[in-house]
Amino acid sequence: MDLETLLSYRWSAMTPEFIILGVVAVLSLLDLFLPRSFNRKLLGWLSFASIIAALITVFTLIGDTPVSILYDTFRLDSFAIAFKILLLIGAALAMLLAISYEPEEKLEEYRGEFYYLFLTALLGVMVMSSSGDLITLFVGLELLSISSYILVGMRKNYLPSNESAMKYVINGAIATAITLFGMSYVYGISGTTNIKEMAAALGAIDQQQHLFLLALAFLMIVVGLAFKISAVPFHMWAPDVYEGAPLPVTAFLSVVSKTAGFIIIIRIFIGVFFQVPDLSGNNSLILSLQNYLAVIAGATMLIGNIVALRQSNIKRMLAYSSIAHAGYLLVAVTAFSPFMIETLWFYLGAYLFMTLGVFAIIQVAAWKAKKVQINEFAGLYRSSPFLAVSLAILFLSLAGIPGTSGFIGKLNIFMGALSTEPTHYILASLLIATTVISYIYYFRVLAAVFFRQPQQETKISFSPPAVIVISLCVAVTVILGVFPNIAFDFLHGNFLSFNDFIQ
Amino acid sequence: MMEFAWIIPLFPLLSFLLLIVYGKKWGSAAPYIGMLLTFASFIVSLLVLVARFENPTYKAEATWLTIGDATLTAGFEVNQLNALMLVIVSLVSFLVHMYSKGYMQGDERISVFYSYLGLFTFAMLGLVLSPNLLQTYIFWELVGVGSFLLIGFYFYKEEAKAAAKKAFIMTRIGDVALFIGMILLFWQVGSFEYDEIFASVSAGTISSEMITLTAILIFIGAVGKSGQFPLHSWLPDAMEGPTPVSALIHAATMVAAGVYLVATMFPVFAASEAALMTVAIVGAFTAIFAASIGLVQKDIKRVLAYSTVSQLGFMMLALGSAGYVAGVFHLTTHAFFKALLFLAAGSVIHAVHTQDIEKMGGLWKKLRLTGPLFLIGTLAISGVPLLSGFFSKDEILVATWVHGHTILFLLAIIAAFMTAFYMFRLFFLVFGGEARGDTNHVKESPNVMTVPMWVLAFLAIFAGYINTPWFGSFLGDWLTDGNAALGHGHIEGPIWIMGLATAVSLLGIALAWLIYSRKSLSRDWLSSRAPYAYQLVNKKYYIDEFYHFTVVKAASILSRVARLFEVIIVEGLIKLITAFITGLSKLGSRMQDGQVQTYGTVAFLGLAVLVIVLALTGGYL
Repeated sequence: MDLETLLSYRWSAMTPEFIILGVVAVLSLLDLFLPRSFNRKLLGWLSFASIIAALITVFTLIGDTPVSILYDTFRLDSFAIAFKILLLIGAALAMLLAISYEPEEKLEEYRGEFYYLFLTALLGVMVMSSSGDLITLFVGLELLSISSYILVGMRKNYLPSNESAMKYVINGAIATAITLFGMSYVYGISGTTNIKEMAAALGAIDQQQHLFLLALAFLMIVVGLAFKISAVPFHMWAPDVYEGAPLPVTAFLSVVSKTAGFIIIIRIFIGVFFQVPDLSGNNSLILSLQNYLAVIAGATMLIGNIVALRQSNIKRMLAYSSIAHAGYLLVAVTAFSPFMIETLWFYLGAYLFMTLGVFAIIQVAAWKAKKVQINEFAGLYRSSPFLAVSLAILFLSLAGIPGTSGFIGKLNIFMGALSTEPTHYILASLLIATTVISYIYYFRVLAAVFFRQPQQETKISFSPPAVIVISLCVAVTVILGVFPNIAFDFLHGNFLSFNDFIQ
Repeated sequence: MMEFAWIIPLFPLLSFLLLIVYGKKWGSAAPYIGMLLTFASFIVSLLVLVARFENPTYKAEATWLTIGDATLTAGFEVNQLNALMLVIVSLVSFLVHMYSKGYMQGDERISVFYSYLGLFTFAMLGLVLSPNLLQTYIFWELVGVGSFLLIGFYFYKEEAKAAAKKAFIMTRIGDVALFIGMILLFWQVGSFEYDEIFASVSAGTISSEMITLTAILIFIGAVGKSGQFPLHSWLPDAMEGPTPVSALIHAATMVAAGVYLVATMFPVFAASEAALMTVAIVGAFTAIFAASIGLVQKDIKRVLAYSTVSQLGFMMLALGSAGYVAGVFHLTTHAFFKALLFLAAGSVIHAVHTQDIEKMGGLWKKLRLTGPLFLIGTLAISGVPLLSGFFSKDEILVATWVHGHTILFLLAIIAAFMTAFYMFRLFFLVFGGEARGDTNHVKESPNVMTVPMWVLAFLAIFAGYINTPWFGSFLGDWLTDGNAALGHGHIEGPIWIMGLATAVSLLGIALAWLIYSRKSLSRDWLSSRAPYAYQLVNKKYYIDEFYHFTVVKAASILSRVARLFEVIIVEGLIKLITAFITGLSKLGSRMQDGQVQTYGTVAFLGLAVLVIVLALTGGYL
């Protein structure tokens, strides 16, 4: 590659990534050389500003797609932009939580790292969402993973945090190994790592054995990626890690990391496997393996919702609830309806706001509590009606009650599952049934918040960034619940049903 | 004016929001907020109705949600039927708001009460304005929530709590059917819009079996909401709520929503003779069935509740006999005289602090205003000539006769006779004769309660003149204008029907007078002659017992048979299954043991299972 080719690329497509990368470099240097006494929170605000700047540049990139640079390894299409918007909003809100995060043993020594590791993780997911090559995809994935391993263990003097980090690393390594193993089959058969070339090579396969191997590879990739989205059978780390990790990190994992998981799933499914014929040769491989995905989706919804019933720690409860939501999202993936991408985009967006809002409320309401038991929330309505009502709205949305964005998201998934041929009515009814189960644990918390007496009088101190997060999340949840077409119009207006991605 | 119709439901919503937030602070000012805002609703509704006289139907909608190819819209529509409904609902709601100021005086949760009233009124007005089934359904459920909150307003009373729950659950049974019918229609038509549904029905793109099926499913939803047989028993129990609530929800508005739904969906029903027949039969049966129970009730509000069920049956009968105008007409007049009766009954209860009519009597002299008002309502509902109920009931009877339902016609005549009888029985027992309880402290209700009743009494007398055989069928012509599917504005019937209706109503009144006022016939003259029939009716045909008895008895017999089978075969199997499930749950709880090895193992096992299944099936599952 000579200089001329290098300069001929449209590097502007990578501006958001460059902004984040640049700020990461600056931050790490600043953190190293600034005196101890310097208030590191300013670094947090700088990171926040960089995320907002990246978000704005992403918006300016709309419409000028697709751009493919670096020998098709980096690809900016409408799909990438749409999901980068979600990732950046999620990361920005999580960053606000991180700025106001004050664990009891103080974080001062590592506060700088805390912020720029968030940014490297974010950089990883952004690269993933734009990758046109399995190598880039994998590098992005690892950048995200390694950064988040450290983030989970950020509270070095707090044992549960260490434990979480350990478990997360080990499970993550297993998952990565499985994913890579699956990818290696695909590479072995197609002889390339570039997604576009792969699709062409695999579409022309006629050997039965190769197709069979590809089916195996598909299952391995699915199971490996189940780790990132915390779906069965790779869901068990979630409660332990969510519980021990610092709260902003938990929020980041359950929102940004999960979104990243779905991004790779869609990239690989549509980019690679959709083009492969199945063993009978007259259908797509992905459609004939739908039942495997359906089993995973069903089991994920069931396990997430049923085990959540038994939790007394709210972070663990939310971990199971996040497993359950991964199950709902997998229903959309399984159904593979023509509007799957927009369904997933809307649901992940709605999920982002409701989940981050809930975590922000937990951070404000129970910042002193060591273990965040549901009991801690008893009588919250008396000490802070604002927090209580916000929590109620967000939980109603998580439960999928009409009038909230969560309902619209579920409705989309439900309609998607019923609109395809064959109809996935078993999954659709399972979605409804498990949603009903989920009412029990959401409403149990709300009952404690509104009807029980507080255990002791606690004074709640509001930190402005967290309040901004809560208000914004509640507002978006309600607005998208009442006027969902704002989001869909934006999507249709700017991305034209993702034509340049699907082709 | 009609383009501003959307503002009508927002006034009560504002009232709800304001009172739920500031209610406690404002205290006794809360009722005025509620009254003011519902009055604003009423004024706008009136203007919209006037505007609708001169202009064609107005409809505004916007895309609410796009799912794949399907587009869901939201908006509002002003046609003849809902312009009329808007006025009825907002007027009755306003009057009830005003009346409650006196009735609920001194209740410390009065602001909560008014906020619930606001929520309910909002939901009901929203329901009426909806231009599509989905929006209707959402408000339909919201109306149910409002009703639930208001029935259970005295939540510290066990009966009130139970009644609220019963009402919610029984109507929900109907709602499930409505939901299924709605989804089926969406599947067939691809839209929830009324207009598009009617267009497909008239274009014949839906099979006639499907039309019948969806119409009946929607009708089941209406049966639940309108307290028709067999889903009627929640309505009498709902009388546990405060009396103004009974007047608003369980007489004039919510229970009429079922009738309104059938009227709105009338073109679908009209396309299926079987569906119309079902509606007519259920309506006629409910009319006579509930009327006969009303003959022997001893609680003033329960008599009125059964009478409501019966009158709603009349409306259904009218719709089922293709008498669209008759059904809507009776819905209108009934809203006024039944609300009047409930409010007057509330005034009586307010004065004597009991609902047992055996403990009343001789109140005519004590309640100089309530007495005549109650009499006007009673005359109207009994179908005495020249009052509103006479004209609308006559219209129903004519429709039934002309449509050829001779048996149903007879049932309706008998029900009309019973109506006159039990209403005057109630009147004579409450107001006539000598006092049977302590009436020394009885005082007439304050003006704030009597004024709304005067308004309703005026309407109960004169509302009938908008559609009479003598002065022209103004209402009918207007309602059916421009829509052939709804039938004719006026159905010409033989003149003897009017005579017969008058005769049975006067006969019923005369019999009641003989028994309860002149006492020339002993009170148990009827019941002693037919003790079994009396007992049957007194126990409300043992419906509640029937449900209880059959279910329990059948279950116990079944269980005995099953027991033998169970001990031998099932028990062994069950032990096996429970052992398996306990094992599984133990395994499950042991899995989440915090050991990272286990987590890895689970993941590997999961992958292994998937791969093995793939290997065994060769890729096909």
